[in-house]
Amino acid sequence: MSRKVAVVGAGQTKCGRRNDVTYIELIHEAVKAAFEDANLSIKDVDVVVEGTMPAPMEGTNAPHLWHVEGAAAQNKPLIRVATCGSTGMSIAHCGYYLVASGLYDIALVIGSEKMYEGVGLTSQAVMSTVADATYERPFIGGAPPAFALQCIRYIHERNFPLEKAAEWAAMVSVRNHEAALDNPYAHIKMKITVDDVLKSRIISYPVRLLDVCPISDGACAVIFASEEKAKKITDTPAWIKGVGYCGDDSMFVDKSLVEWQSCILAVRKAYWRAGIENPLKQIDVAELYNPFTYQELLYYELFGFCGRGEAGKLVEEGIIAKDGEIAVDPSGGVLCTNPIGASGLQRVAESAHQIMGKAGKRQVSNVNVAIAHAMGGSIQFNGIMILSRDKP
Amino acid sequence: MKTKKVAIVGVAQTECKEKIPEYTAKELLYLTVKKLLNQLNITRQEIDFIISSSSDYWDGRGCSNVYTYDGEGAVLKEESKVEEDSAQAVAYAYARLQAEYYNTALVVSHTKVSITPSIESLTHVMSDVVYSRMFGIDELAVAAMQAALYMHKYGVTEEQISKVSVKNLGNALNNPYAHRKMKLKVEDVLQSPILAPPLRKLHCRPSSDGACAIMLASEEVAKKFTDTPVWIKGLGFCNGRHYLGEKDLIDVEALKIAAQAAYKMAGIENPLKQIGVAEICEPYASQELLWYEGLGFCGKGEGKKLIDEGITEMNGELPVNPSGGVLSTNPQVARGLIRVAEAALQVMGNAEKRQVSNVNTALAHSTHGLGGQLHTVIILGR
Repeated sequence: MSRKVAVVGAGQTKCGRRNDVTYIELIHEAVKAAFEDANLSIKDVDVVVEGTMPAPMEGTNAPHLWHVEGAAAQNKPLIRVATCGSTGMSIAHCGYYLVASGLYDIALVIGSEKMYEGVGLTSQAVMSTVADATYERPFIGGAPPAFALQCIRYIHERNFPLEKAAEWAAMVSVRNHEAALDNPYAHIKMKITVDDVLKSRIISYPVRLLDVCPISDGACAVIFASEEKAKKITDTPAWIKGVGYCGDDSMFVDKSLVEWQSCILAVRKAYWRAGIENPLKQIDVAELYNPFTYQELLYYELFGFCGRGEAGKLVEEGIIAKDGEIAVDPSGGVLCTNPIGASGLQRVAESAHQIMGKAGKRQVSNVNVAIAHAMGGSIQFNGIMILSRDKP
Repeated sequence: MKTKKVAIVGVAQTECKEKIPEYTAKELLYLTVKKLLNQLNITRQEIDFIISSSSDYWDGRGCSNVYTYDGEGAVLKEESKVEEDSAQAVAYAYARLQAEYYNTALVVSHTKVSITPSIESLTHVMSDVVYSRMFGIDELAVAAMQAALYMHKYGVTEEQISKVSVKNLGNALNNPYAHRKMKLKVEDVLQSPILAPPLRKLHCRPSSDGACAIMLASEEVAKKFTDTPVWIKGLGFCNGRHYLGEKDLIDVEALKIAAQAAYKMAGIENPLKQIGVAEICEPYASQELLWYEGLGFCGKGEGKKLIDEGITEMNGELPVNPSGGVLSTNPQVARGLIRVAEAALQVMGNAEKRQVSNVNTALAHSTHGLGGQLHTVIILGR
């Protein structure tokens, strides 16, 4: 039987264009913040788990070996896990399982990206190489066109009027941007209106500039501890209640982008393991991986927050607002901050801090259960972690 | 907490070659996984989760497992990817199998080095971009500096290093999956061209295409798959320093820490006596001698004695690399998993012509990074 595990501390860097620090300094900033948050030091760490998006983005192969000094990983067990956009969640899972297994008591999990680092080879160029070289790459330039396919397919299959869907998406954008103003680590901080979103330029139809995430430099570190250690470290650990992960076939044509099996199955697995039967009632905060506004709408349905085609209602009625029934992305989400290798882990860090009551101005009241999510690949991977105030 | 026992219940490898142009990486993985499933007479439905090991650089694309996902048999399953060192994928799978809801795991790895520019160019970009890269540092250059220092400090000779190549490439003749197999004399090795002094061509790993898959199962279900489960008795991994300017290249502290963690878990106090066979990752012949020391097979500077006295030969006290090791076969990322697979075959008694007699305990070792920065050690037993 595996052990109970909790998040006992988390740290994030300010995200954006971070030309003021090297990549290693950036990672150190997050690790130091996590240590301060948990009141721990390097000597307490038993294992380090690291992850980023494709390493070619920053131009160094096996980057975990290079990051050693920033990552507190010298003469320690170190493992690199990477699963594209869902990397942040996959490393959280790895840290969780390594501690749950009894092999290690305290795991330091670090996700990072320095997307402005690429010289000549931009992050979008690297991301274009995720798509199949023969059949897909000629049609895909970077991430937005791929996910725009999913967005337009969603509108089509649900038979949403285009203008209505665009308006709901714009409302999602406004809510996230407003939330990001309260998040000291967020990258894009601006007050916008629905009209601003609807008038922003098209990036890849139907996705407009304010419907899509930025690229960011940033890092995040989360510390997982065994039950015995967790109790000594903090009075308010955020317990891991359940995790789930699933991946689809790689090709766009071999899967439904709307009845998205990897998402549905990952969510079901996590709900089953965490004993969630009525997500809207049982979950207080959802940190969804929302690089695209339309995708956030689809997630409401696939996560069971509402029925098929009812996402717009949740937006219009404010059910997903900060003071609503389930607060979605009170951090501003990926839409406003996106250092990819860290983005999924930031969802875990934000969820844990909401449970620990450490979320500052973005704190939602009375959080007992939070769900963190990450997505990646060729519209392909979904990972979930459910955290709770009560020990599972 | 009661730890679940975890066993390796099946192993499949491809025949490794300089080039396998007829299959894509995805197809190569598919064929390897299919071979394993057929061997166990099961379908992929019986696999609870998959840990793959590959690398974006070595696959020449962003997010290598995006592309290989279907080839791994992972569609609509839980999967994760451990990048760069596939022996660590086994360690991660072991940890996950401790969860009550898992009983079986598939671990897969592949690399087609033939589709990369070269091992030198891809390990060149492992070096620090500001302080090291401009000097043309790569895996070979660092191994050469390490070998030169080792020879200088402990009086290791070119002949002693060459004996490792003779042993391993000779052993490879018995391995149907090995890439480079040669019957050699020490003089032949010493006559091969110098690549980076003091290392010669036959002191250095080849570049190979290949894949490997192993199936893990918990105690509860292991017997369903095989009569000869191979138990994971211990494991450890550890990372050392990165910057070349601040590390002693022949200090093997990270390996020592990794080995000690694995030995402690497996209850091994005298590795030379208690281990029956070792599969270790020696991309350069000099490193095999150095790793003997880190693994505690001998004292500091005594690696040369083990090879001189024939202790690590096939008929020695502790045969090392009966498969031919990485000197014979090097599908870069998969080489760690191949060490685990070969060690498992030895314990199962299924290593055919390369079988060492009476193996109760086997050691698998893997390393990556320049000069061996991160090491993994796994102990298997009956």
